Amino acid sequence: MTAQGIFDPAALGTCISCGFCLPTCPTYQLTGDEAAWPRGRIALMRAIDDGEVDVFDAAAREQGSFCLGCRACEPVCPAGVPYGKLIEQLRVAQWTGRRRPWRIIPLMWFAGSRRLIRMVGRIRRHARTTAASPEHSGDMLMLGCFERALFPAVSRAAVATVPGLTVPRDQGCCGALHAHNGDLARGEELARRLAERPGRIVSTAGGCAAHLAAVVGREKVVDYSEALIERASLPGPILIDGRPARIGLQDSCHLRNGMGVTAAPRTVLAALGDYVEVPGAGECCGAAGTYAILRPTESRQVLAEKITTLTALDLDFLVVVNPGCQRQLISAVRRAHLRTRVVHLAELVAMAENGTVRP
Amino acid sequence: MSRLVGASMDAVSAGTPDSRDVVSAQLARIVGAANLETRPSALVPYRTDATFGFSGEPLAVVRPADTREVAEVLRWAAARRVPVVPRGAGTSLAAGAVPIHGGIVLALTRMNSILSIDPVDLTAVVQPGVSTQALARAANEQGLHYPPDPGSQRVSTLGGNVATNAGGLHGLKYGNTAGYVLGVQAVLADGEVIRAGGRLLKDVAGYDLVRLLTGSEGTLAVLTELTLALRPAPQASATGLAYFEDLEAAGDAVRGVIAAGILPATLEFLDARCIRAVEDYAHLGLDLSAGAMLLFGDDGSPAEVERTLAITAEVMRERGAASVHKATAAAESEALLAARRCALPALSRLGGATMLEDVGVPRSRLPELVRRIEEIAKHHRVVIATFGHAGDGNAHPTGCFDPKDEGQRERVAAAFADVFGAAIELGGTITGEHGVGAAKHPFLVAQLGAAQMALQVRIKQAFDPAGILNPGKLGS
Repeated sequence: MTAQGIFDPAALGTCISCGFCLPTCPTYQLTGDEAAWPRGRIALMRAIDDGEVDVFDAAAREQGSFCLGCRACEPVCPAGVPYGKLIEQLRVAQWTGRRRPWRIIPLMWFAGSRRLIRMVGRIRRHARTTAASPEHSGDMLMLGCFERALFPAVSRAAVATVPGLTVPRDQGCCGALHAHNGDLARGEELARRLAERPGRIVSTAGGCAAHLAAVVGREKVVDYSEALIERASLPGPILIDGRPARIGLQDSCHLRNGMGVTAAPRTVLAALGDYVEVPGAGECCGAAGTYAILRPTESRQVLAEKITTLTALDLDFLVVVNPGCQRQLISAVRRAHLRTRVVHLAELVAMAENGTVRP
Repeated sequence: MSRLVGASMDAVSAGTPDSRDVVSAQLARIVGAANLETRPSALVPYRTDATFGFSGEPLAVVRPADTREVAEVLRWAAARRVPVVPRGAGTSLAAGAVPIHGGIVLALTRMNSILSIDPVDLTAVVQPGVSTQALARAANEQGLHYPPDPGSQRVSTLGGNVATNAGGLHGLKYGNTAGYVLGVQAVLADGEVIRAGGRLLKDVAGYDLVRLLTGSEGTLAVLTELTLALRPAPQASATGLAYFEDLEAAGDAVRGVIAAGILPATLEFLDARCIRAVEDYAHLGLDLSAGAMLLFGDDGSPAEVERTLAITAEVMRERGAASVHKATAAAESEALLAARRCALPALSRLGGATMLEDVGVPRSRLPELVRRIEEIAKHHRVVIATFGHAGDGNAHPTGCFDPKDEGQRERVAAAFADVFGAAIELGGTITGEHGVGAAKHPFLVAQLGAAQMALQVRIKQAFDPAGILNPGKLGS
């Protein structure tokens, strides 16, 4: 395959190699190797673009899959390099056809089938539009494919806490999974199809939200936390043994770095209890979409420091805003035998409203 | 000397797979296979640093764990006359970390421990790979202060800071890195390990090798441990900003401030283009109609800080500032300084590549330098945005150009040759704080003169007769 045309030349040209991205890159923290951070990967991409390094070169393939795609480098980049886009483009070239990692093929197939995700969602009882919705806002709740299968309670909680949301039954996948795993064209097509409906899309998954926003525009996409603040009065604090619950947050990388949403979930949590800022809340937990499946060893290495922090904090709740992080942290907390419960923001808001918290 | 190096490189020959394997095996024995890389594609990131237009072809990158491994690598390299280029985070803006004659890139980032912080001696002992900010934070936790804060402080390493005698935003009051280097442990080109200086405030035994190695850009020895001076942390700090019609008016205001007997910790300037670029990135609500901006600040006791800021603001108004603001919250203050540090990379938003320089003149002549830079830019038909340390007389004229336009690139290079000339004429320097590196090496003799340049070469030869340490820089 020819090297030229893999990368958006404007995006590749923006980096001036200042290196300001270094301290934010989790894979650089792990290795101390300049090949394993955005500036080094961009240097490699440029060498690929020049035809000097083959796109399937071993070192190039290693970096293509080693990057978490967390995009922590983007907000700190004064030059405004769209790094997330570049790494997606690299994966489009590297993970084509038979070269796609076999572990993610069934996942992409599942998410790409509207019928299948609908069926799974119905079995798992995800949210449905309640007939009694008094004022219909025109906003739709997006059902994440994996959230439907793994955490159906999240969408039920979202509908219960944000009034006026519709939940279209025939909605498909947003395409984030495809975009992040080497099928950008399909990823964009799925996003556009989902956005055909008028009104905004309310998302409970940072990964989906950022992908959608990149394809169809930021103004079309709202995070659950933003929608909640817009539309509902926040419930009072959750009490455990008569004291307000100690609550921490793990940011979703894409919600933070792709959507720029950091304040809204914190505002909500400050109302729900004794909010504790987790040191490194904005750093990747290692879930990173399919990363935990494709590179389990590195995924756990990235996670390790977070677990040390969480052990010391001894929270009642660790709140997540993306299903990938939820899955990663639930199993991590279980392995570490912590008493902390990992819940999605919507679930915690629903608990506060219902008063159904059990310590 | 560089021919000698070139010839020896052929002897090790980066090209043939056999010799590459031999090199790999030998170096792997020293640092371990995991800390060695020889695959050409994996070396791509080590060919360049943060400087536009300079690259080299390293043979290998090695990441030693300690001084002993550094010494062994140097012994290995000395025996084979292979160049060794020490590297921190690779944020040099003068191609100081570019392996222009190939050889081994000695990445010191694994040596990143803060070994001790002593609140009585007011010293820190660190390994060279510790980032500037990591030390500043660790010192702060103990109520201490490490003042040098180069723009890349979040990324840059202390080893690199010392090797380039890096400056920063607080140079006016606190000086450059050199003022804080009390002692070093260094590995010489033949693998011998020396210590110079130490936790001493007074020490005149021997030639001042600490001062000589500071700013030596890795050409004389590899720094493997640094003893740095700290200060008690200031109780308070504050920042303000003032807008002016143009850079000359801002320069005049700087003269006024100093003449009023005030020495603020920070006195930084940005021209209209820099203001726009920074605002585009940081969204601070800067005044885009202004021709120039001065950022001023001080630290110390609350009363002292308040007095400095009040007098500075008053002088600025007297000298024709269009408006003066004081940052009321610490966060706002920090945001302003952070934005100023981003000026260079943010400028790339104006048109692709940036080539930046680092000329310095006596403070009183800064307005003249700035005027000359504008004339030179006009003459060569190039866009030059200028920012820098007004209080230090240190300007960073930055050429913004389309990297694919060969003509534009050449015109920027020609303009900078003139800027160097202007700085030297005004009694100044071709580099205030970034170092000479490979980028400004051709201009060094113009500033130093032939006799001093020859002495510089003899110093280099005394330290490194085989010329293996970062060849192509300073004494070469």
